[in-house]
Amino acid sequence: MAEVRVENLTKTYGPLKALDAVTLDFRDGGFFGLLGPSGSGKTTLLRAIAGFVIPDDGRVLIGGEPVERVPVEAREIGMVFQSYALFPNMTVADNVAFGLDVRRIRGAERDRRVKDVLDLVQLGDLGQRKPHQLSGGQKQRVAMARAIVTRPRVLLLDEPLSALDKALRVEMQVELKRIQREVGITTIFVTHDQEEALTLSDEIGILRNGRLVRHGPPREVYNNPRDAFTARFLGEANLFSGSLEAGGLRLPDGALIPGATTAMVAVRPENVQVSASEPSGPIRLRAEIRRRIFAGAMGTLILDRHGEPIKAIARDSEFAELPDNGRVWLSWREGSAIPVENAPN
Amino acid sequence: MTGKVLGIVGRVYLALILFFLYAPILVMAAMSFNASEFYQLPFAYSGEWYERLWSNRAILSAAWRSIWIAFVVTGIATALGTAAAIALFRYDFPGKKVLRALLFPPIAIPWLIIGTAMLIFFFGIGLGRGTPTVIIGHVALALPYVIVIVSARLATFDATLEEAARVLGASPWQVTKRVTVPWILPGIVAGGLLAFAVSFDQFVVSYFLSEPGDATLPVLIYTSIRKGFTPEINAISTLIIAVSMSVMLLAARYSNFGGER
Amino acid sequence: MASAILRRDRLRALTLLSPAYLWLTVAIFLPLSAMVFFSVLTDVPFGDREWHLTAGNYQAFLETGTYARLLWKSLQLGATVTALSVLIGFPCAYVLAKVVRGRSREALFLLVVLPFWSNSLVRIFSWAIVLRGNGVLDRAVNAVLPWPVKLNLMYSQSAIVIGLVHSYLPYVILTSYLALQAIDDSLIEAARSLGAKRLTILRRLILPLSMPGLVAGAVLIFVPVVGSFMEPRLLGGRLGTYYGTLIEDQFVAVFNWPLGAALSFILLAVVLVILGLASPILRKARL
Repeated sequence: MAEVRVENLTKTYGPLKALDAVTLDFRDGGFFGLLGPSGSGKTTLLRAIAGFVIPDDGRVLIGGEPVERVPVEAREIGMVFQSYALFPNMTVADNVAFGLDVRRIRGAERDRRVKDVLDLVQLGDLGQRKPHQLSGGQKQRVAMARAIVTRPRVLLLDEPLSALDKALRVEMQVELKRIQREVGITTIFVTHDQEEALTLSDEIGILRNGRLVRHGPPREVYNNPRDAFTARFLGEANLFSGSLEAGGLRLPDGALIPGATTAMVAVRPENVQVSASEPSGPIRLRAEIRRRIFAGAMGTLILDRHGEPIKAIARDSEFAELPDNGRVWLSWREGSAIPVENAPN
Repeated sequence: MTGKVLGIVGRVYLALILFFLYAPILVMAAMSFNASEFYQLPFAYSGEWYERLWSNRAILSAAWRSIWIAFVVTGIATALGTAAAIALFRYDFPGKKVLRALLFPPIAIPWLIIGTAMLIFFFGIGLGRGTPTVIIGHVALALPYVIVIVSARLATFDATLEEAARVLGASPWQVTKRVTVPWILPGIVAGGLLAFAVSFDQFVVSYFLSEPGDATLPVLIYTSIRKGFTPEINAISTLIIAVSMSVMLLAARYSNFGGER
Repeated sequence: MASAILRRDRLRALTLLSPAYLWLTVAIFLPLSAMVFFSVLTDVPFGDREWHLTAGNYQAFLETGTYARLLWKSLQLGATVTALSVLIGFPCAYVLAKVVRGRSREALFLLVVLPFWSNSLVRIFSWAIVLRGNGVLDRAVNAVLPWPVKLNLMYSQSAIVIGLVHSYLPYVILTSYLALQAIDDSLIEAARSLGAKRLTILRRLILPLSMPGLVAGAVLIFVPVVGSFMEPRLLGGRLGTYYGTLIEDQFVAVFNWPLGAALSFILLAVVLVILGLASPILRKARL
């Protein structure tokens, strides 16, 4: 177990900056989620920590010790691949024991550790199966078991759940978290699924075009995204921008958002209140209903404000009294408008 | 060993293999331009051996025979092979697996066995040796290759396209002509080129099936070599290898047999 | 109704298939059967020759010893050429599939397999030019070494082996390359992340996973080499008597066709046994 630190990590592929001076600390024993759109550099960062990507510049420290010159096989890491990468010519038990064999751990010790880890991932009786005889979720568990049996200093997960269907993915999220807690290993995982990142991580980092845009505990980042990109990438956000006045933010159509201190604010769809009658609070905006989307308990309303789409989410019953289309009022509680910076490209 | 060292060692090794594969061919080609009749060095350029080819009636007629046989074989094998490949792809019937498996023996059994067996059989039925027999033999050798290559191309063909065309009212023949064949054309071309190469380069089976008087080019070369080497053989061999390598390069353009997709 | 359509489909399939398969039957499968028949005759059944059934040709193989010895010699030649080709070719396939990256890979691969598809007789002849006494190889070696050497490789066992390896090496490169290329790079990365070094990865992962391709290549070399006659003839001279040349002689020199047929059939049996033994692995190789 160890903390991981990357300093000023930079990697370019031709004209493309896959990593642009990324500095980040991964806490010992923590569960860190790396998020970002495709091409943002999150996988490159993970592979640089693993040692598959040699950075142009910067340092990688595992447990305080620089490892840029240490080859992958000597870094004492565990890794779970998107495709699982189970060795097709070996049984489940042999797959799991591979890392032990390489370390010349033999005999009773080897068997005991294989058994323990297979029990941990609840595959105790499948040791003699071949990978092609396993379901997706079972393969995922074998990949986990194989990665942790050597007691690595850090566990790296590359989109570990993306090959599973939705129901199984949710189940495996719980499993992943349980196993990580029981082993207590520093875990870094890459995902493009923001919900997964929010659910699992103690801390998240958001990358964009090779730069670390924002990092912190998920709730903090969600509630205070600080910039428009993060606000939109993590969850959904309605952005309002205009000019700053003494009383608040003046939108181009003359409406005022009182209390705002930045030229742009973000409002989460679940915080947008829609009413047919004029609200009493200080925030009052007009918009037109375009579409109502029914999705079971929750409903989504797509509105239009001077050509800008606005989204509102609430229990479907709350939208019941609204007209199917026509002008309505928007409002939100004060404090729901998050000040954000316009995202630099 | 680090990745970089492995990369360098690997490339050097690859270069050595290529040297081993091509050096003798290049030496042979160079000697066809050497003036000395006894392959003496130092090298002195001469086009004499190529000029002599033009007046060597035996070689000219054998070359001509090899070429037209290869064209006839290509035509027949491509047509029959493509038809069979389409049927194997389109229809389901009992015994299909057996038919596919039957393509393997002609490819895997040494040509010596096939050639001698053909000799016995065609003599037995009274056809004897000669150019017609050679053509029959070559077509049989080329057919499995054509079927395998066209089938591989067909495997990339979306069968629902045929169904869509049928739904739109096309008859099976129209479907074949206007939907299937245009898609598999590269496979047919590659199969045809391979058939050409199988026939044009064929020595073993031609050797047993051709009449001494009208041998194909490889058979003539074999019998000449056994009498003694002359630079003329180098010249005609150089021409042959140039033709067969170009044919195969063309075939590779139309299909990636053995290559990556 | 449905069965009428089905019947029409079957008829169409039959029309498309029968020309090709009739041709294969007449030119390959019937001749192979005829060979079996011939092998139990005393003389060729042409014209007014006397002939009757006999097991004598097979008896000759068992009793004479010479024939069996030649078959054994050919099998040894096959084993030597196959082993050398595998040892030389597999690393080459590995470099092509796993070390060389990018666009040059396809071009290099094509260059390696191209000679394989070109005229084999001409390639054997090119070795005769290189290896002959006082030939190019002799001169090249003598130019490099300060003392005079007489290599005299021509008309020797070595010449035959060199020529055959040259002929068939691309086969094992081709099949191994296909197998190696099918190994997902993430498997190798996974092994490295677990602490495995290159040799361990080679032994426990790459070799087992590419074994079907390797075996396929080996079989596809072994079988034709055992039946080779042109290569020993041209490069071996008087030393070049093998089982293949023995069969050739029965048909073009001695004209003892029934004996030739019996010898051919014995070779075919050997080939079929080898193909049969290897067929589970060959099927895995999916060539």
